[in-house]
Amino acid sequence: MIPDRHEERLSAKLRDATHRLFGRSLHVRTVDTGSCAVCESEIRLLTAPHYDLHRLGLFFTPSPRHADLLLVTGPAIRAFDRALEKTYDAMPEPKLVVAVGTCPMGGIYQEDEFVHGQLERVLPIDVFVPGCPPSPLALIQGLLVAVGRLAEKVGAEGFTTLDEQEEAP
Amino acid sequence: MTGTSDLLLVSVDVESHVCAMAQTPGVRFADFFGSVEDGQLVIRLVWALDAEHEYRVARWPARGTGYPPLSEVTPAAFVEECEIYEQFGVSPGKGKALNRLVIPPGAEHAFPRLGEAPAREHPLPHASHYVSGDAFEFPFGPVRGVGQESMYLGLVTSGEELIDLYLLQWHKHRGIERRLGGEEVARALFVIERAEGLSAVGNSWAFLRAVEEIAEVTPHPAVDRSRGVALELERLYNHAAAIAALCQSTGLAVGQAQAEIVLEQLLRLNAAVFGHRYLFGVLAPGGTSRAADADALVTSLPPTMDTLRRLVDALWATNSFVDRLESCGIVTPAEAARLGLVGPVARASGQDIDTRRDHAFGPYAEVAVEVPVRATGDVMARMSVMVAEMEESARLALDLAGAGLGAGTVEVPPATGSALGWCESPRGESLLWVDLDGGRIRRARVRPGSVRNWRAFDDAARSRNVFTDIPIIEASFWLTVAGLAR
Repeated sequence: MIPDRHEERLSAKLRDATHRLFGRSLHVRTVDTGSCAVCESEIRLLTAPHYDLHRLGLFFTPSPRHADLLLVTGPAIRAFDRALEKTYDAMPEPKLVVAVGTCPMGGIYQEDEFVHGQLERVLPIDVFVPGCPPSPLALIQGLLVAVGRLAEKVGAEGFTTLDEQEEAP
Repeated sequence: MTGTSDLLLVSVDVESHVCAMAQTPGVRFADFFGSVEDGQLVIRLVWALDAEHEYRVARWPARGTGYPPLSEVTPAAFVEECEIYEQFGVSPGKGKALNRLVIPPGAEHAFPRLGEAPAREHPLPHASHYVSGDAFEFPFGPVRGVGQESMYLGLVTSGEELIDLYLLQWHKHRGIERRLGGEEVARALFVIERAEGLSAVGNSWAFLRAVEEIAEVTPHPAVDRSRGVALELERLYNHAAAIAALCQSTGLAVGQAQAEIVLEQLLRLNAAVFGHRYLFGVLAPGGTSRAADADALVTSLPPTMDTLRRLVDALWATNSFVDRLESCGIVTPAEAARLGLVGPVARASGQDIDTRRDHAFGPYAEVAVEVPVRATGDVMARMSVMVAEMEESARLALDLAGAGLGAGTVEVPPATGSALGWCESPRGESLLWVDLDGGRIRRARVRPGSVRNWRAFDDAARSRNVFTDIPIIEASFWLTVAGLAR
């Protein structure tokens, strides 16, 4: 299938932004906090020929140490809190969190004894991608928005070295 | 004719009943669960008599300490014994080692359950495993690879060879069955679809069949055919995804890409025919909520199947792929029968069962279903069964569409009573036992095919396999953690 022009434009924007910021290597890690397995299916398709995330300079990584962005699915199950916290903490700064689907937005499960209901209660979220499940195209758009947010984060962080700071008057 | 029969036992008869049933050829253990009725715990045991087209539901009131350890006669019952202990505090005899399933370690006594908490939680997260000599335990998870569900695997290994394996799944327990209590049918359907999203149609059709039986409602045959098309489309995309995962796990990138093209085409076909890539919201109480676009099905499915056939031919001709599949992850026919396996995993291990044929329901009473069976029980056999099932599903979907598809619902009045519903999801027999009170759910037991088939995963993984075979075996089972942990 031939991608439509809207998709082409989105892809071009995403490519430019990640290229500028991350030299064509923004690494994504995924974590499931209690999804129904359908969001995972759409995430896996991001590397399939129809979507091919690699052409955009985005890569999946199994290692949190290499990850710039965390894709999170599910309603944030309480029993998973510690694993989620460890996953997030293991990533270097600056880092992004993209919440995938309706579950982390609180649209499927209300807060109760099993789940937090909203992922925001346990992780700082940069971008929500709605949908049950969000299609791979929606996920690509979500990543584009997230990369824009990363530019803000990188700006806030300050990349001057300690030496330069000491030299400043 | 197909149907269910009820059998009321008194506690003292349970052991002899189970022994008699377990020793009868052709009787398959299907499910085992508790339900609190008028403040009293009632335990139900579901047997499938496939040759006689019947489900037999035995029930007895659990008084006092519990019931005899059924898993000693029927090993398939072990997981359910653990579940009944966790959820209702009733144990199968003193001193029997049980696994923790969905109650996380360190959880308070007040952790929400279906019944009363046991007086004492299991001391260990799992029944003890023998680790000694050169063997050590290698923990893996709960956070796993890209796009994989969370689950903890305890791998007992001496370095390369896998000696033992156990799974911990409380990280994904959403309390689905507990949530369903008190809900109306429409809302419950929404939750059940999302209990195991990759079997949304299979599980929700089983649920609706139970509800419709209680309310004495029959959907229009043309509408039931639409449901059938949705079920076959669900099987098609799941098996395509399994083939993609098999290629990925064997490091065959080209095959994976080809399989993902087929998968994406099938998902787009789902969206074109029913308006949702994963067929959520298609089924409704009393019928379907959307009209199927039969033209889209008839024009798009045959070319996609051609692409699939070219892929499968190329895969069977790729020795490096086939070599990884043969004799990998074997489940013997005896083991499959002993553990009450269902679906493609059972059929690859010589079990000639399929609820669409043996317990024909809805449109399947009108059409003949060919059931592929293989005897070797390895990954190769499972893939071969899936491929054959995809051909059969495509044929069935087109035949059903040819007979005319309808949409719409008949009214399902609020009813009271209980019934068992079943359906052949892509992962095998899906069972839902529903107890309604004036149209609201008193108790719904959700047993997706995944629950039965994960039972054989450790056996398959142990059978002369090495570490790198585990992802291949997992792909060939194509189960979900969501369906297991619920």
